[in-house]
Amino acid sequence: MEIKVYRDLMGENEKWAIKTRQLLAENNCVMFNLIGGPGCGKTTLLEKMAGRLGKNLRFAVLEGDIETTRDAERLAALEIPVSQLLTGGACHLEAKMVHYALADFNLEKLDIVIVENVGNLVCPAEFDVGEKAKIAVLSVTEGEEKPLKYPLLFREAAALVLTKTDLLPHLKFNKEACLDNVRRINATLPVFPVSATQETGLTEFIAWITKQPAGLK
Amino acid sequence: MHEFSICQGLVKAILSELEKLNPPNPKLQKASVVIGRLRQIIPETLQFAYEILTKETAIAGSTIEIISAPILAKCLKCGWESEIKEHNFRCHKCGSGEIELSGGMELYLNNLTVEKESEILR
Repeated sequence: MEIKVYRDLMGENEKWAIKTRQLLAENNCVMFNLIGGPGCGKTTLLEKMAGRLGKNLRFAVLEGDIETTRDAERLAALEIPVSQLLTGGACHLEAKMVHYALADFNLEKLDIVIVENVGNLVCPAEFDVGEKAKIAVLSVTEGEEKPLKYPLLFREAAALVLTKTDLLPHLKFNKEACLDNVRRINATLPVFPVSATQETGLTEFIAWITKQPAGLK
Repeated sequence: MHEFSICQGLVKAILSELEKLNPPNPKLQKASVVIGRLRQIIPETLQFAYEILTKETAIAGSTIEIISAPILAKCLKCGWESEIKEHNFRCHKCGSGEIELSGGMELYLNNLTVEKESEILR
Protein backbone atom coordinates (compact mmCIF):
# COMPACT_ATOMS: atom_id res chain seq x y z
CA MET A 1 0.00 0.00 0.00
CA GLU A 2 1.27 3.44 -0.93
CA ILE A 3 0.92 6.37 1.47
CA LYS A 4 1.35 9.95 0.29
CA VAL A 5 3.51 11.93 2.71
CA TYR A 6 5.04 15.07 1.17
CA ARG A 7 7.43 16.02 3.98
CA ASP A 8 10.21 18.57 3.52
CA LEU A 9 13.59 17.10 4.45
CA MET A 10 15.17 20.49 5.11
CA GLY A 11 12.38 21.33 7.58
CA GLU A 12 14.46 20.74 10.72
CA ASN A 13 17.33 22.91 9.44
CA GLU A 14 14.89 25.58 8.31
CA LYS A 15 13.33 25.76 11.81
CA TRP A 16 16.72 26.73 13.27
CA ALA A 17 17.47 29.12 10.41
CA ILE A 18 14.18 30.95 11.09
CA LYS A 19 15.01 31.19 14.82
CA THR A 20 18.42 32.65 13.99
CA ARG A 21 16.92 35.14 11.56
CA GLN A 22 14.50 36.33 14.25
CA LEU A 23 17.28 36.60 16.84
CA LEU A 24 19.43 38.66 14.47
CA ALA A 25 16.53 40.91 13.45
CA GLU A 26 15.72 41.61 17.12
CA ASN A 27 19.32 42.71 17.60
CA ASN A 28 19.44 44.72 14.39
CA CYS A 29 22.34 42.59 13.22
CA VAL A 30 23.09 41.31 9.68
CA MET A 31 24.69 37.92 9.09
CA PHE A 32 26.48 36.77 5.93
CA ASN A 33 27.50 33.25 4.96
CA LEU A 34 30.87 33.25 3.21
CA ILE A 35 31.35 30.18 1.00
CA GLY A 36 34.32 29.16 -1.13
CA GLY A 37 36.79 26.34 -1.72
CA PRO A 38 39.74 25.59 0.59
CA GLY A 39 42.51 28.12 0.12
CA CYS A 40 40.48 30.60 -1.94
CA GLY A 41 41.37 33.39 0.49
CA LYS A 42 38.31 33.65 2.76
CA THR A 43 40.27 34.25 5.96
CA THR A 44 42.69 36.72 4.35
CA LEU A 45 39.71 38.61 2.94
CA LEU A 46 38.20 38.77 6.44
CA GLU A 47 41.50 39.92 7.96
CA LYS A 48 41.66 42.82 5.54
CA MET A 49 37.97 43.61 5.98
CA ALA A 50 38.35 43.64 9.76
CA GLY A 51 40.71 46.60 9.62
CA ARG A 52 38.41 48.62 7.39
CA LEU A 53 34.98 47.56 8.67
CA GLY A 54 36.06 47.89 12.27
CA LYS A 55 36.31 51.66 11.92
CA ASN A 56 32.60 52.15 11.26
CA LEU A 57 30.82 48.94 12.18
CA ARG A 58 30.95 46.41 14.97
CA PHE A 59 31.78 43.11 13.34
CA ALA A 60 32.30 39.49 14.48
CA VAL A 61 33.30 36.27 12.73
CA LEU A 62 32.02 32.76 13.22
CA GLU A 63 34.69 30.40 11.91
CA GLY A 64 33.65 27.02 10.58
CA ASP A 65 36.41 24.48 10.13
CA ILE A 66 36.76 20.73 10.08
CA GLU A 67 39.88 20.86 12.26
CA THR A 68 42.16 23.36 14.05
CA THR A 69 41.55 26.82 15.44
CA ARG A 70 44.20 28.42 13.18
CA ASP A 71 41.79 30.69 11.28
CA ALA A 72 40.08 31.86 14.47
CA GLU A 73 43.49 32.67 15.99
CA ARG A 74 44.43 34.75 12.94
CA LEU A 75 41.26 36.82 13.32
CA ALA A 76 41.36 37.04 17.12
CA ALA A 77 44.83 38.60 16.76
CA LEU A 78 43.06 41.53 15.08
CA GLU A 79 40.91 41.98 18.19
CA ILE A 80 37.58 41.19 16.60
CA PRO A 81 35.15 38.85 18.37
CA VAL A 82 35.62 35.34 16.93
CA SER A 83 33.92 32.07 17.71
CA GLN A 84 35.20 28.77 16.35
CA LEU A 85 32.92 25.96 15.22
CA LEU A 86 34.73 22.67 14.64
CA THR A 87 32.68 20.23 12.63
CA GLY A 88 35.00 17.26 13.27
CA GLY A 89 34.75 15.97 9.72
CA ALA A 90 31.43 17.38 8.54
CA CYS A 91 31.72 19.23 5.25
CA HIS A 92 29.37 22.13 6.01
CA LEU A 93 27.70 24.13 8.79
CA GLU A 94 24.04 23.60 9.63
CA ALA A 95 21.58 26.09 11.08
CA LYS A 96 21.44 24.55 14.56
CA MET A 97 25.25 24.71 15.00
CA VAL A 98 25.31 28.36 13.97
CA HIS A 99 22.37 29.21 16.23
CA TYR A 100 24.16 27.85 19.30
CA ALA A 101 27.50 29.41 18.32
CA LEU A 102 25.86 32.85 18.14
CA ALA A 103 25.34 32.62 21.92
CA ASP A 104 29.10 33.34 22.21
CA PHE A 105 28.50 36.89 20.98
CA ASN A 106 26.76 39.84 22.51
CA LEU A 107 24.61 40.47 19.44
CA GLU A 108 23.25 43.71 20.85
CA LYS A 109 26.71 45.15 20.49
CA LEU A 110 27.25 43.93 16.91
CA ASP A 111 26.20 45.19 13.48
CA ILE A 112 27.55 42.39 11.29
CA VAL A 113 28.34 38.70 11.78
CA ILE A 114 30.21 36.88 9.05
CA VAL A 115 30.11 33.10 9.04
CA GLU A 116 33.16 31.67 7.32
CA ASN A 117 31.82 28.32 6.20
CA VAL A 118 33.90 25.15 5.83
CA GLY A 119 36.06 25.40 2.69
CA ASN A 120 33.88 23.61 0.14
CA LEU A 121 31.93 24.70 -2.94
CA VAL A 122 29.31 21.96 -2.74
CA CYS A 123 27.67 21.18 0.59
CA PRO A 124 27.57 24.63 2.29
CA ALA A 125 25.47 25.95 -0.61
CA GLU A 126 22.67 23.52 0.32
CA PHE A 127 22.20 24.71 3.89
CA ASP A 128 20.52 27.90 5.03
CA VAL A 129 22.15 28.87 8.34
CA GLY A 130 19.88 31.87 8.92
CA GLU A 131 21.98 34.35 6.96
CA LYS A 132 20.80 37.47 5.20
CA ALA A 133 22.83 36.47 2.15
CA LYS A 134 25.35 33.94 0.94
CA ILE A 135 28.55 35.38 -0.50
CA ALA A 136 30.55 33.19 -2.88
CA VAL A 137 34.34 33.48 -2.90
CA LEU A 138 36.28 32.25 -5.91
CA SER A 139 40.00 32.78 -6.47
CA VAL A 140 41.56 33.29 -9.89
CA THR A 141 43.82 30.30 -9.26
CA GLU A 142 40.83 27.93 -9.31
CA GLY A 143 39.91 28.09 -13.00
CA GLU A 144 37.18 29.68 -15.11
CA GLU A 145 34.85 26.68 -15.10
CA LYS A 146 34.00 26.69 -11.40
CA PRO A 147 30.63 28.49 -11.76
CA LEU A 148 29.49 25.82 -14.25
CA LYS A 149 30.76 22.99 -12.08
CA TYR A 150 29.12 24.28 -8.90
CA PRO A 151 26.01 26.06 -10.17
CA LEU A 152 24.06 25.93 -6.92
CA LEU A 153 26.47 28.17 -5.01
CA PHE A 154 26.51 30.75 -7.81
CA ARG A 155 22.69 30.67 -7.99
CA GLU A 156 22.27 30.96 -4.22
CA ALA A 157 24.87 33.69 -3.70
CA ALA A 158 23.88 37.37 -3.52
CA ALA A 159 27.44 38.47 -4.37
CA LEU A 160 30.67 36.99 -5.67
CA VAL A 161 34.15 38.02 -4.54
CA LEU A 162 36.82 37.14 -7.09
CA THR A 163 40.00 36.97 -5.03
CA LYS A 164 43.77 36.98 -5.67
CA THR A 165 43.41 39.23 -8.72
CA ASP A 166 47.02 40.41 -8.20
CA LEU A 167 48.07 36.98 -9.51
CA LEU A 168 46.30 37.46 -12.88
CA PRO A 169 49.48 38.48 -14.80
CA HIS A 170 51.09 35.16 -13.82
CA LEU A 171 48.15 32.90 -14.72
CA LYS A 172 46.40 31.61 -17.81
CA PHE A 173 43.10 32.42 -16.08
CA ASN A 174 40.72 34.14 -18.49
CA LYS A 175 38.75 36.55 -16.34
CA GLU A 176 36.19 37.38 -19.05
CA ALA A 177 35.49 33.69 -19.69
CA CYS A 178 35.02 33.19 -15.95
CA LEU A 179 32.60 36.12 -15.73
CA ASP A 180 30.70 34.77 -18.76
CA ASN A 181 30.28 31.49 -16.89
CA VAL A 182 29.10 33.37 -13.81
CA ARG A 183 26.51 35.25 -15.89
CA ARG A 184 25.35 32.03 -17.52
CA ILE A 185 24.41 30.74 -14.06
CA ASN A 186 23.33 34.02 -12.47
CA ALA A 187 23.16 37.03 -14.79
CA THR A 188 22.39 39.56 -12.07
CA LEU A 189 25.06 38.49 -9.54
CA PRO A 190 27.28 41.43 -8.50
CA VAL A 191 30.98 40.54 -8.82
CA PHE A 192 33.74 42.18 -6.76
CA PRO A 193 37.29 41.57 -8.01
CA VAL A 194 39.58 41.86 -4.99
CA SER A 195 43.23 41.49 -4.13
CA ALA A 196 43.36 41.27 -0.37
CA THR A 197 47.16 41.36 -0.23
CA GLN A 198 47.36 44.45 -2.46
CA GLU A 199 44.20 45.83 -0.83
CA THR A 200 42.41 46.59 -4.09
CA GLY A 201 38.66 46.24 -4.62
CA LEU A 202 37.92 46.01 -0.89
CA THR A 203 36.19 49.40 -0.74
CA GLU A 204 33.54 48.40 -3.28
CA PHE A 205 32.86 45.07 -1.60
CA ILE A 206 32.63 46.64 1.87
CA ALA A 207 30.25 49.28 0.50
CA TRP A 208 27.99 46.47 -0.76
CA ILE A 209 28.13 44.65 2.60
CA THR A 210 27.29 47.74 4.62
CA LYS A 211 24.37 48.55 2.30
CA GLN A 212 22.54 45.31 3.16
CA PRO A 213 19.78 46.19 5.63
CA ALA A 214 19.18 44.30 8.86
CA GLY A 215 15.89 42.47 9.29
CA LEU A 216 14.28 39.28 8.08
CA LYS A 217 15.17 37.97 4.63
CA MET B 1 29.30 13.97 1.86
CA HIS B 2 26.28 15.98 2.97
CA GLU B 3 24.20 13.03 1.74
CA PHE B 4 24.73 11.43 5.17
CA SER B 5 23.47 14.51 6.96
CA ILE B 6 20.41 14.71 4.67
CA CYS B 7 19.83 10.97 5.04
CA GLN B 8 19.78 11.26 8.84
CA GLY B 9 16.84 13.65 8.46
CA LEU B 10 15.23 11.31 5.94
CA VAL B 11 15.40 8.28 8.25
CA LYS B 12 14.01 10.34 11.13
CA ALA B 13 11.17 11.62 8.90
CA ILE B 14 10.29 8.11 7.69
CA LEU B 15 10.20 6.68 11.24
CA SER B 16 7.98 9.50 12.47
CA GLU B 17 5.59 9.17 9.49
CA LEU B 18 5.30 5.41 10.03
CA GLU B 19 4.43 6.02 13.65
CA LYS B 20 1.49 8.22 12.63
CA LEU B 21 -0.20 5.35 10.76
CA ASN B 22 -2.96 3.13 12.10
CA PRO B 23 -1.93 0.48 12.98
CA PRO B 24 1.39 2.24 13.68
CA ASN B 25 4.77 1.20 12.29
CA PRO B 26 3.82 -1.16 9.45
CA LYS B 27 6.75 -2.81 7.67
CA LEU B 28 8.24 -0.39 5.14
CA GLN B 29 9.06 -1.67 1.67
CA LYS B 30 10.04 1.51 -0.10
CA ALA B 31 10.27 5.25 0.51
CA SER B 32 10.30 7.62 -2.42
CA VAL B 33 12.19 10.90 -2.26
CA VAL B 34 12.00 13.81 -4.70
CA ILE B 35 15.28 15.66 -5.28
CA GLY B 36 15.66 18.72 -7.50
CA ARG B 37 18.47 18.65 -10.06
CA LEU B 38 20.01 21.84 -8.71
CA ARG B 39 20.74 20.08 -5.43
CA GLN B 40 24.11 18.45 -5.60
CA ILE B 41 23.02 15.16 -4.11
CA ILE B 42 24.59 12.04 -5.55
CA PRO B 43 21.88 9.32 -5.70
CA GLU B 44 24.37 6.46 -5.17
CA THR B 45 25.81 8.14 -2.09
CA LEU B 46 22.34 8.75 -0.68
CA GLN B 47 21.44 5.09 -1.33
CA PHE B 48 24.63 4.00 0.44
CA ALA B 49 23.94 6.33 3.38
CA TYR B 50 20.40 4.92 3.63
CA GLU B 51 21.70 1.37 3.81
CA ILE B 52 24.16 2.27 6.57
CA LEU B 53 21.84 4.50 8.59
CA THR B 54 18.87 2.11 8.58
CA LYS B 55 20.92 -0.88 9.79
CA GLU B 56 19.47 -2.19 13.07
CA THR B 57 16.41 0.07 12.78
CA ALA B 58 12.80 -0.97 12.15
CA ILE B 59 13.18 0.02 8.49
CA ALA B 60 16.32 -2.03 7.75
CA GLY B 61 15.99 -3.79 4.41
CA SER B 62 13.67 -1.19 2.92
CA THR B 63 14.77 0.73 -0.18
CA ILE B 64 14.62 4.31 -1.36
CA GLU B 65 13.51 5.43 -4.76
CA ILE B 66 14.98 8.76 -5.88
CA ILE B 67 12.86 10.84 -8.23
CA SER B 68 14.78 13.62 -9.93
CA ALA B 69 12.90 16.91 -10.43
CA PRO B 70 13.84 19.24 -13.32
CA ILE B 71 15.12 22.81 -12.93
CA LEU B 72 12.19 24.98 -14.02
CA ALA B 73 12.34 28.69 -14.68
CA LYS B 74 10.11 31.59 -15.58
CA CYS B 75 11.40 34.68 -17.36
CA LEU B 76 10.44 37.86 -15.52
CA LYS B 77 10.73 39.88 -18.74
CA CYS B 78 8.79 37.91 -21.36
CA GLY B 79 7.01 35.23 -19.34
CA TRP B 80 8.78 32.27 -21.00
CA GLU B 81 8.50 29.17 -18.84
CA SER B 82 10.46 25.99 -19.33
CA GLU B 83 13.19 23.67 -18.14
CA ILE B 84 16.77 24.88 -17.66
CA LYS B 85 19.20 22.62 -19.46
CA GLU B 86 22.99 22.52 -19.73
CA HIS B 87 23.36 25.11 -16.98
CA ASN B 88 22.10 27.95 -19.08
CA PHE B 89 20.14 30.00 -16.56
CA ARG B 90 18.88 32.54 -19.07
CA CYS B 91 15.57 32.90 -20.81
CA HIS B 92 15.78 30.66 -23.85
CA LYS B 93 13.45 33.02 -25.73
CA CYS B 94 14.53 36.62 -25.04
CA GLY B 95 17.94 35.95 -23.44
CA SER B 96 17.19 37.84 -20.22
CA GLY B 97 19.01 36.72 -17.09
CA GLU B 98 16.15 37.87 -14.89
CA ILE B 99 14.54 34.52 -14.28
CA GLU B 100 12.76 33.01 -11.32
CA LEU B 101 13.24 29.34 -10.51
CA SER B 102 10.11 27.34 -9.77
CA GLY B 103 11.71 23.92 -9.58
CA GLY B 104 15.05 22.23 -9.06
CA MET B 105 15.47 22.72 -5.31
CA GLU B 106 12.97 20.07 -4.19
CA LEU B 107 14.00 17.82 -1.33
CA TYR B 108 11.11 15.96 0.20
CA LEU B 109 9.84 12.57 1.23
CA ASN B 110 7.08 11.87 -1.29
CA ASN B 111 5.49 8.59 -0.30
CA LEU B 112 5.91 5.37 1.63
CA THR B 113 5.05 1.89 0.41
CA VAL B 114 4.12 -0.37 3.33
CA GLU B 115 3.22 -4.06 3.48
CA LYS B 116 -0.25 -3.90 5.02
CA GLU B 117 -3.30 -1.70 4.71
CA SER B 118 -2.87 1.34 6.96
CA GLU B 119 -4.69 4.59 7.39
CA ILE B 120 -3.18 7.96 8.09
CA LEU B 121 -3.86 9.44 11.53
CA ARG B 122 -3.13 13.14 11.71
